Amino acid sequence: MATADSVLMAEPLPADGKAATGVAYQIPRNSLALLMVAQVAVVLPYLLQLSPWIVAVGLFCGLWRANVYLGRWDYPKRWVKAVLVIFCIGGVAISGVGAFSLEATASLLIAAFALKLIETKSRRDAYVVIFLGYFAIATQFLFDQTILVAAYQVVAFIVVTAAMVGMNQLHTRVRPAASLKLASVLVLQAIPFTLIMFVLFPRMAPLWTVPLPGSSMTGLSDTVKPGDIANLTQSDELAFRVEFDGRVPPPSQLYWRGLVYADFEDGGWRAAERRPARYFPDPGSSDIGYEVLLEPTMQTWLFALENSTSADAGVYRTLDDRLASRDPVLSVFRYRAVKHARPKEPLPLSATAEARNIAIDDTRNPRIRALGEALRAEHGTATAMTKALLTTIREQPYRYTLSPPQYTDRDSLDSFWFDGQAGFCEHYASAFVYIMRAAGVPARLVGGYLGGEVNSISGHLMVRQYDAHAWAEVYVPEFGWMRVDPTAAVAPERVEQGLSAALSSEDLASLSLLSSARMGSWDLAADILRWADSLEHRWNLWVVGYDANYQSRLLGDLLGEITAARVAMAILGGGALSLSLVACVLFLRRRPVQRHPVERAFRSFSERLASYGYERRPEESPSAFVRRVAAEVGLSDQVAPLVAELDTLLYNPGVAWGARELKALKGQLRRLQFRLAFGATR
Amino acid sequence: MAELPFSGNVGVARDRPGEFFSGRRFSRWLDRRIPPSPQITLTQKNVFIFPTKTGFAFGGLIVLLILGAINYQASLVYGVAFLLGSLFLVTILYTFRNLSGLNLEFVGARPGFVGEDLEISVRVSRPEGRAREGIQLGWPEGIMQSAELSEQATDTVRLYVVAESRGYHNPGRLLVETFYPLGLLRAWTWVDLDVSALVYPRPIFGDFPQSVSGDRDEGQLIDPFGSDDFTDIREYQPGDPIRHIIWRSFARSDELMVKRYSSYVEPRLWLSLDRVEGQLEEKISRLTGLALKATRLDREFGVELGSAKFSPSRGEAHLEQVLKELALYGHR
Repeated sequence: MATADSVLMAEPLPADGKAATGVAYQIPRNSLALLMVAQVAVVLPYLLQLSPWIVAVGLFCGLWRANVYLGRWDYPKRWVKAVLVIFCIGGVAISGVGAFSLEATASLLIAAFALKLIETKSRRDAYVVIFLGYFAIATQFLFDQTILVAAYQVVAFIVVTAAMVGMNQLHTRVRPAASLKLASVLVLQAIPFTLIMFVLFPRMAPLWTVPLPGSSMTGLSDTVKPGDIANLTQSDELAFRVEFDGRVPPPSQLYWRGLVYADFEDGGWRAAERRPARYFPDPGSSDIGYEVLLEPTMQTWLFALENSTSADAGVYRTLDDRLASRDPVLSVFRYRAVKHARPKEPLPLSATAEARNIAIDDTRNPRIRALGEALRAEHGTATAMTKALLTTIREQPYRYTLSPPQYTDRDSLDSFWFDGQAGFCEHYASAFVYIMRAAGVPARLVGGYLGGEVNSISGHLMVRQYDAHAWAEVYVPEFGWMRVDPTAAVAPERVEQGLSAALSSEDLASLSLLSSARMGSWDLAADILRWADSLEHRWNLWVVGYDANYQSRLLGDLLGEITAARVAMAILGGGALSLSLVACVLFLRRRPVQRHPVERAFRSFSERLASYGYERRPEESPSAFVRRVAAEVGLSDQVAPLVAELDTLLYNPGVAWGARELKALKGQLRRLQFRLAFGATR
Repeated sequence: MAELPFSGNVGVARDRPGEFFSGRRFSRWLDRRIPPSPQITLTQKNVFIFPTKTGFAFGGLIVLLILGAINYQASLVYGVAFLLGSLFLVTILYTFRNLSGLNLEFVGARPGFVGEDLEISVRVSRPEGRAREGIQLGWPEGIMQSAELSEQATDTVRLYVVAESRGYHNPGRLLVETFYPLGLLRAWTWVDLDVSALVYPRPIFGDFPQSVSGDRDEGQLIDPFGSDDFTDIREYQPGDPIRHIIWRSFARSDELMVKRYSSYVEPRLWLSLDRVEGQLEEKISRLTGLALKATRLDREFGVELGSAKFSPSRGEAHLEQVLKELALYGHR
């Protein structure tokens, strides 16, 4: 091994051009490029949730790092980094989101992600950035779990993974595309076991309370003032989707009860009941089963038809005939409920409940109070008084409108009922309840949604914010609580056909977006929207809404009895199966490359020759090999046709040849081989 | 096998929590499991695999995400967590496969001097088929080198390890490891390729033994082997040794005359242990230095080392023979 001069000089030799130490500590450029792409990919969707400035900081840091990468700029000085950190923390602090809200946490996460990347030099730093990237991808799902976002995040996930792959492809020539390809393959191969875990991993109830997204969600609230529900109609955001076991009942029966406002305070209504029910309707033949996929509300109330019960864990029935969740609904929440027939024997109203449901403010609305007392004197029973009031609404020039005059005085119900006579559902319902209470009839305001839109493709019902509605309930001793919808008196179309049918053309024009109005027309866009909606619905049904209740139903079907041992066995078995599939792909020897038939024939020929001692040299072409071997044994003059044939069949695509030519060539080769074998033994 | 240098500081300080076993018992076990051989193919019998620190942090991330998913009841956060976990499992196969099937062969070693880096060549080859990436090998006290097996099926890696004593040196078990593809797991093995690298003694450069450095013209007179040849007499010149002054002639003529001797000019050197100073190792080092110096000056030299005797000669081949003899003196 030792060459002369090295012994003499006896000096350390250069390490053959290979970077000996540097490789292990530095981030390969390939990986760094992917890391920057990954950052942009991960930060971009946060534009929808976080204030733009934090995303801007993220992109600014990415830009800076890209310029460092390109060798244009230097790493930021320490004071620059300090300014950025102070800017981010200060920005989050003054931006108005709660200190411990999800937004604040996410903002700080994104800031940390961006700021870490800008100073990333070592492998350790890079791994921190990569892990933050995965974390940010997951955090995004706390805000939005729609199928579109999920698809996008799979791509982001692959890019982050590719950056990690790049970290370990030490070869300097590796391009980002190669890392991306491997990352995609890895993610693809990881999917089967992911699905198994997703189905089988036991879902648990929250372990502790967590900061909630602080931004105001569109939707009902536990207080309602005239005008609140009218504002909701400006939004076409989805409230929930419902899948009925059978046919969807007619719209006029789809009163989705969410909140019961029993307390009148400061000119508005408040819902405060949280006690669980003591009465449960009996199952009957006319029960209607349905499954609700509620979009996040950050609240505990759920939406259900009257007299509904639910057997789901974490869902309970309240004293005022509602369904509620034990924990706030932070992401799409799936629950199954059954609507029962009205009980034959009405429940008696307790004294406290009666007192609560006839309480009115004696200092306000004197005209309405007088009306109530007069009504009572004239009609006597609750049923008769209700009929009389509805007739009044129907006969007098009351108007149903989204933009009624502002009733802001102390006696706002008086001014609505007697002066303005124009209002939205909550005006009518709250005035109605107030009048009944003044007449000594227990009454309450109910808030929720009315109707919905049936998706003709998958048949589910879609309820949007503009379906928000308020109505009244009166207690009739013979029947119990009865629903009365004063809106039906002023605008029956609202109940039968939905909001757009009930509104005047000016009101309709004021709505920014009313998709059911547009979706009514049959065109391609509407079809696509329907299709997308049913896709989203399936996604929610099977993926986003996959919770403990659904899991126990599904696993009960799959495994029979659900025991820890069975679930563990299923996970292990599934894991072994899916991993052995990957192992098969990785370890099984690939089929040998299909070679050219001439090449194959020549290969066996040269292998035979090698055993006689004629090695083909690596640089020798088949014909050169034949020529050399023939020359060695003095057959040069006889192999010229074979050599020409070999070259033609192997290298001349212009010459057509078939089985006959191939056979002839093989024969020539065999003859030569025989003579050589003879020569070798001689 | 001597004691294995497992506890040494590893050249590329990467995370290796799998390194909890070390020491004598492990090395005995390892000797049974992966016996020394100049060529070895890696299989599931001799490849170990364990998560790295990064891998454990990755696990922590997954736990964190599952906690988040539970508390926020977010299905897709579960999804991300499971995808990460699943990725980890798939990576086990990839990391293992990256080493499995590799063939390692000790090709040769370039001799070096004590205290310098020995260059040891190891050929790493993979079966035809899929590329391997990010494979590193090295001795714990040396620097890890990477083998390029993505485009070619064979790579000869030159490894450097510090030579500590003369003679044949076996640097112990060679670490072969990979963190590919995600750095979450480390697959590694310790193979003993039966390396023997020749280590020459550390040279100490000194003057040639003075007896042989005569120069006829300068007339420098020393007592080589007690057989001086008197040549002539000439006038004293400053610098002549005083004891060569012929005092009797000075008494007679007032002229300072000196006797001139010339040593028996021996252009060929003879190197042997008794002509240099110091303890045995120092003597060997000195002889090494002299042999190197003589070759650099292109002088002939012969060597007597115990029973071995090299007649005077010159040139690289001669030097190599001599150095080998010096390296192995007393070691056989």
